[in-house]
Amino acid sequence: MPQDANKVKDHFELFRGEEYVDMLARKKAEFENPHPAEEVARVREWAKTEEYKDLNFSREALTINPAKACQPLGAVFAAVGFESTLPFVHGSQGCVAYYRSHFSRHFKEPTSCVSSSMTEDAAVFGGLTNMIDGLANAYAMYKPKMIAVSTTCMAEVIGDDLNAFIKTAKEKDSVPEDFDVPFAHTPAFVGSHITGYDNAMKGILEHFWDGKAKTAPKLERVANGSINFLNGFDGYAVGNLREVKRIFDMMKIDYTILGDQSDVWDTPTDGEFRMYDGGTTLEDAANAIHAKGTISMQEYCTEKTLPFIAAHGQETAAFNHPIGVEATDSFVMEVARMAGVEIPDELAKERGRLVDAIADSNAHIHGKKFAIYGDPDLAYGLAKFVMELGGEPVVVLSTNGGKAWAAKMQELFDSSPFGAGCQAYPGKDLWHMRSLLFTEKPDFLIGNTYGKYLERDTGVPLIRIGFPIFDRHHKHRYPVWGYQGGLNVLVTILDRIFEHMDATTNVPSKTDYSYDIIR
Amino acid sequence: MTSLNQTIQDVFNEPSCGKNQAKSEKERKKGCTKQLQPGGAAGGCAFDGAKIALQPITDVAHLVHGPIACEGNSWDNRGAKSSGSKLYRTGFTTDMTENDIVFGGEKHLFKAIREIVEKYAPPAVFVYETCVPAMIGDDIDAVCKRAAEKFATPCIPIHSPGFVGPKNLGNKLAGEAMLKHVIGTKEPEYTTPYDINVIGEYNLSGELWQIRPLLDELGIRILSCISGDARYEEVAWSHRAKAAMMVCSKAMINVARKMEERYGIPFFEGSFYGIEDMSDTLREIARLLVERGADGELMARTEAVITREEARAWAAIEPYKQRLSGKKVLLVTGGVKSWSVVAALQEAGMTIVGTSVKKSTREDKEKVKKLMGDDAHMFDNLAPREMYRKLKDAEADIMLSGGRSQFIALKASMPWMDINQERHVAFAGYHGMVAMVAEIDRTLANPVWQEVRRPAPWERAGDVAWQDRALDAPGHVASVRSANPPDTGRATVRGKEAA
Repeated sequence: MPQDANKVKDHFELFRGEEYVDMLARKKAEFENPHPAEEVARVREWAKTEEYKDLNFSREALTINPAKACQPLGAVFAAVGFESTLPFVHGSQGCVAYYRSHFSRHFKEPTSCVSSSMTEDAAVFGGLTNMIDGLANAYAMYKPKMIAVSTTCMAEVIGDDLNAFIKTAKEKDSVPEDFDVPFAHTPAFVGSHITGYDNAMKGILEHFWDGKAKTAPKLERVANGSINFLNGFDGYAVGNLREVKRIFDMMKIDYTILGDQSDVWDTPTDGEFRMYDGGTTLEDAANAIHAKGTISMQEYCTEKTLPFIAAHGQETAAFNHPIGVEATDSFVMEVARMAGVEIPDELAKERGRLVDAIADSNAHIHGKKFAIYGDPDLAYGLAKFVMELGGEPVVVLSTNGGKAWAAKMQELFDSSPFGAGCQAYPGKDLWHMRSLLFTEKPDFLIGNTYGKYLERDTGVPLIRIGFPIFDRHHKHRYPVWGYQGGLNVLVTILDRIFEHMDATTNVPSKTDYSYDIIR
Repeated sequence: MTSLNQTIQDVFNEPSCGKNQAKSEKERKKGCTKQLQPGGAAGGCAFDGAKIALQPITDVAHLVHGPIACEGNSWDNRGAKSSGSKLYRTGFTTDMTENDIVFGGEKHLFKAIREIVEKYAPPAVFVYETCVPAMIGDDIDAVCKRAAEKFATPCIPIHSPGFVGPKNLGNKLAGEAMLKHVIGTKEPEYTTPYDINVIGEYNLSGELWQIRPLLDELGIRILSCISGDARYEEVAWSHRAKAAMMVCSKAMINVARKMEERYGIPFFEGSFYGIEDMSDTLREIARLLVERGADGELMARTEAVITREEARAWAAIEPYKQRLSGKKVLLVTGGVKSWSVVAALQEAGMTIVGTSVKKSTREDKEKVKKLMGDDAHMFDNLAPREMYRKLKDAEADIMLSGGRSQFIALKASMPWMDINQERHVAFAGYHGMVAMVAEIDRTLANPVWQEVRRPAPWERAGDVAWQDRALDAPGHVASVRSANPPDTGRATVRGKEAA
C-alpha cells in the first residue's frame, strides 16, 4: 500500500513512491491519450525560439502571469502606515481577504483591514447602506483613530460616490462628525498597486491639509525646516524605513515619515496583540504641510501625491528606489541640501564601506548578465545598481511600467557601456519574460517569488528581490536603501551567484573538483 | 629533534642553488628565507608550508597531529583541484587537548590512524607533526612505523612543527619526507621514454590541466606530479621518470636535486606562466627527454606545437590591444613572474611601470632588464607603506599581485588583480596568458574603480583626503627589534647584534 495509516506520508514523499509512479504512468499511457514524448519535447524546445518569442510578443488580449497587483492593495499599504488607522475597502469582501493574505504572507504579520462586504443587492441599489453599517461596525469593533477608505472594482463600476457616502454615514452617526475618514477611489481596472498607493496617500494628505472634506478650515502652511518622506509601495518597508530613520537621525534633521509601516508589520511577540502599532501620528500627518519639502523614494508611486504637495508650496524631489553608491549619494545629498545640514562623517564611512565591499567582490559580478523585473522604480534602482557593480542588465521588464518609464530606463542604459544592448519592456508580463530568458540568455534573474516558476522552466537562477517574497522569510526586515541597504543587495546577489556556482559543481566525483571552500 | 635538526641543516645546504652556495657556512646555517621578525606581520609556519606542499596529493589521508588550530586553519584552503579522489579535502586531526599534553599524544595518534584506515582505507596516511607534539616529545616516527605494520598502510611522518621556521622551510621538509619515505617505494606498471616528473606544481585552479593537453599531444606522459592532482602511488614510483621539470619556485629544489643524485633524473627549472616561458618549458622537456633516449623527432613536433600555440595565443590577445593600449601596470609578485608575464602584457599594448623582484634570481632580473629596456623599474621587497606611496605616485592603472597586497591597492584606490595562488582563474600555459589579459581587461573596465577613486560627492574640493592625512602623520615605525636579525641589515632594523 502506498499510504500506511501508521506512517502517513506527506506530499513531498507520497507520489514519489513506486506504486504511485507506476499508477500515474499507466494512467497517462492508457487513459490520457497523451502526445508522444518527442512531440512534447519538440514543442518545449520550440517555445524557446525567437519564432515563439515573436508570437508571444504579438499577444494582444491575454496577459499571462502579470507582475503587478491592484490599486486597493496599494491603498491598504499606504493606510496601515498611519497611527491606529483601519483600512476600509468599500466593495466586495473577497478582495480584502486577498490583500490581507498577500501582506501577511510577505510580512509574516497579520494585516488588519475591513470591507464593506457589498453583495448582489448592493450592486443593484448602490453600496450606501454597506458604507453606513460598515463604518459604524468597524468604528465600534476595532476602535481605530482613523478609517481610510478605498474601493474595489465593484463599487467603482456602479459609481459609488465616497465623498457623499461618508458624509451621509457621518450624518447617520456611523462615526462621530469629527472622526477622520479620508478616502480615495482606487479601481483595480486602472493602474496597479502603485497607483493605489498614490491615490490613497494623496487622499489622506488632502483630508488633513484641505479641510477634511469641507468639515474644517483648510490648513495654512507656515513653512518650517522639516522634511517629509514618502517611501512608496515597498516590500522592504520594515527594514527600509528603520534604516532611513537611522540615517535621518544621524543627519540630525527634523522629519516626518508619511506612512510608516515599519512597526505594524513587525510587532513583537510578547503576549500582547497589537492590531495597530506605530505609524505616522495624525497630528504629524496634518503638520506635514508646514515642511520645507518632501522626498519621494519612488517617482512612479507618487505621480499625483508629489505634485499635490508641490502645489502647497513645498519643494519636492523624487527618486527611483535608490540602491547602491551613486543612487544613495544623490539621495543623501538631496536630503542634506533640502534640510540644510552637513552629511556626517559616520555616513561617509558607511559609504566607504559599501565601496570597499563592492571592490572586494566585483570580479564575481562583472560581466554577468541580468534580467530584472519589478515595479517601475524598483526595476530602475536595481538596474542602476547592477550596472554600478559591473553587471550587465539585458532585460528590464515592468508590467506596471509605462512609456515614460521605458524612456527613462533607456536613458539609464545609454549612460554606461554596461547598459549597452539592454532593453526595457513596459507593460509586459512574466510569460514575455519567459521567452526573453530563453532568447537573451541572462545569467541571473532578479524578481519576486513568482520568478521561481521562471527559474524552474528556464534554469536561470532567481535572485529574490521585490514584492511579494512569499517563499523566503524575513527579507523585508533587511533594508535595501542607504549604504547599508546597498550592502544587503550586494550580498543577496553574491550569495546567489556563489550558491549557483556550488550547485553546479557539487556532484561527487563528477563536478566537485571545482567545489571549493574559498570563493 | 636531533634528526629533525639534521634534516633542516641538510635542507639549508642546497648545492643546486647558486645563492645558497655563495653564502658562507655560517650564513647558510641560518637558512635561506628571511628570518622571522618578532612583532612584524606574520607569514606562514613550517607546518603550513609542509601541508600546502603535500595536500594536493589527493587520495592520501592528511592527518594533522596537533591541537585543532593547525588543521582548523589549513583545512582545504588552497583550491588545489583533483580529478579523482576527494579524500585530501577531508580534514583529519587528532585535535589534541590537555590530557594529551599531560599524558602524551602517541596513543591518541595511533588510534586516529587506525580509525582512518578502517573508515577510508587510503593508500597512505600522512602524519603532520605540529608544535605541541614536538614539544611534549611524541615519537611520531615510532607511532607511524608501528601503525604502518599493524594496519598494512604506509604511514608517513612529516616533521614540520611550526616553530622550526617559515613556510618555505616547511615545503622543503615535506619534500624530505617524500624522499625518505615515499619516492622509490613502488614501481609503475610500465615506463616509456617520454615519462616526466613535474615537481612543485600544485594544480591550483586546475592549472596543470591547462598544460596536460599539450603534453598529451606531444605524447609526453606526466609520470608523476609532485604534488598537484597526484595519487600516492604516482609519487611512490616517480623515481622511474626520464626527466623532471621543477616549477618556478625553489620551494622543492631539494626534491629535484636529490632525485637527480639518487636516480639520475635530470631536471630543469621552468615555468608555465607567460607565452615565451611556456615555449621554453616545452622545448626543455623535449630536449631532456631526447637526451635520455627519446626519439629525436620529438623536437620537431614540439617546435610545431609551439609555433601553432604561440600564433594562436598572440592572435587571441590581439583584440584586447585597442582597449588595453597605453594602460600602465604595476607588477608586485616576484620570482619568475616578475618577467614571465611581461611579454604578454606588452603584446596587449600595456606598459609596465614597475615590477618587484622579490624572490627573483639574477637571471630573472636580467630578463626583466632585457624585456623592459632601460625603463626597468625594479624594486625589491616593499614595505606596505612604501607600496602604498608608490601606487599613489606611480600613476599605474592596475596592480597585479598576490592577495596579500590587495588591500594596499584598494586603499590606494588602485584597480587590483590577483595573479598569485589564491586566484580562481587559471593563468597557466598559452590559454592562461590569454585568460589573464582578458581578466585584466575585465578588471580595468569595472565601474567600481571610478567609485573607488572618487571621494564622496559631498566632499569639497581641496579637502585633504584621509589617506593623505595618514601618510603625513608623524611617527611611523623607526626601529624594529629582531631576535633573529636578517642578514640584509636594513638601516631601519635594529636587532640584538646591532644593538
